[in-house]
Amino acid sequence: MTKTPYVLIVEDDDWLAEQHIRTLSAAGIRAEYVPHALAAIDAIDNNVPDAIVLDVLLAGPNAFTLLHELQSHADLASIPVILCTNSADQLADEDVVAYGVRRVLDKAIMVPGDLVAAIKKVLP
Amino acid sequence: MVTAAHELKAPLALVRQLSLTLEQGSVTPAERERMLRQIVLVSERALRLTTDLSRSSRLQDSLFELEPLNPQQICEEVAHELTPLYKARGREIHVTSRYRPMLVVANRDLLRRIMLNFGDNALHYGDEGAPVELRAGVREDGARIRLGVRDYGPAVPIDMWQQLQSHLGSSTQVLHARPQSSGLGLYVAGRFAEAMQGKIGATRHRDGATFYVDLTASTQMSLL
Repeated sequence: MTKTPYVLIVEDDDWLAEQHIRTLSAAGIRAEYVPHALAAIDAIDNNVPDAIVLDVLLAGPNAFTLLHELQSHADLASIPVILCTNSADQLADEDVVAYGVRRVLDKAIMVPGDLVAAIKKVLP
Repeated sequence: MVTAAHELKAPLALVRQLSLTLEQGSVTPAERERMLRQIVLVSERALRLTTDLSRSSRLQDSLFELEPLNPQQICEEVAHELTPLYKARGREIHVTSRYRPMLVVANRDLLRRIMLNFGDNALHYGDEGAPVELRAGVREDGARIRLGVRDYGPAVPIDMWQQLQSHLGSSTQVLHARPQSSGLGLYVAGRFAEAMQGKIGATRHRDGATFYVDLTASTQMSLL
C-alpha cells in the first residue's frame, strides 16, 4: 500500500495555510500547518514530514533560522523544502539551494495546482 | 512606494488563491461561504490600508478639525468595526471599560484609523483564545490621554523589540519580529498622530505588547 505523503506547512496567515491544506488534501496529500519556526521545530520533532512548505517572513525567527536548524541535523537536512513567499522576486535560486530549498513559489502568481506539482516533484 | 506594494501583495495573493479555488468549483457549500467571507474581510483590510495611504499623503494639504472626543467611545467603535474580522479568525476583541473617561482632543477619523491599524496589527500576534483589549486612560501628568491596544502572546525577543522601537512610526519597513504587523500601517498611524500633536509608541510585556497613541487631554468635562 502506498504511504500518504505528509507535508508540514509553516505559514503565519492561517487562512492561506487553510487554503494550502484544502488544495493538498484534494490531491491526496496530508498536510498540517504551524504558524512560526519554533512551532515547526516542535512539529518536526514529533513527526518528520516528507516535505516542508515554508513562508519566509514569520513571527519571531524567520524561515532562514529554521533552514539553518534543519541543515544542522543530519536526519533533517534532506527534507525537501519549498519556499512559498511574496518575496520570491528577491530570492535567487542559487542563494537558497544551499539551505535545502528545492523550489521557490511566488504567492502572487502561483495557482493552487503549482503547490501540488512542486510537492510531487520533490517528494522522495 | 515599494513597501506599500509589498504590503498589499499579501492580501491580494490570498484573495487570488481563494478566488481561483472557487472558480474551480470543487468546494462544499459551507467551504464556499467561508471562503467568500474571507475574501470580503481580507479585501476590506487591504482597502483600509490604501485609504490610509491616500489620506496620509494629503495630510500636509488638509486641515483637520480637532475636537473633544470620548476615547472610550472611539475604542468601542473600533472594536465593533473589527469584530467581524476577529470573529472570522476565531479571536476576540473588546474594550476595557472605564467609568467617565476624560475627553481627548483629536480628529475622530484619524484617531479611529490609528486604532484600527493597531487592532489589525494585534490580530496576528495573540495566543489563540487570548483576547485583544482596547483601553483608554489618563497619563500621570493628567495632560495626556493614552489609547492603546493590548495583545497577549509570546514576548518579542529584546533585540527585535529594540529594532521595532527604533523604527516605530518612522519607517515603513516590515517589523521582522511581527511580519504581519503592517510597518506601513504603523508609519501611517505615526503620521496621523503627529497631525494631532500626538505620538505613537509601544510597550513590551512579558506576555505580549501594547501599541498606543498619546494625545492631549481636553480641559472640557465629559458629560457622557
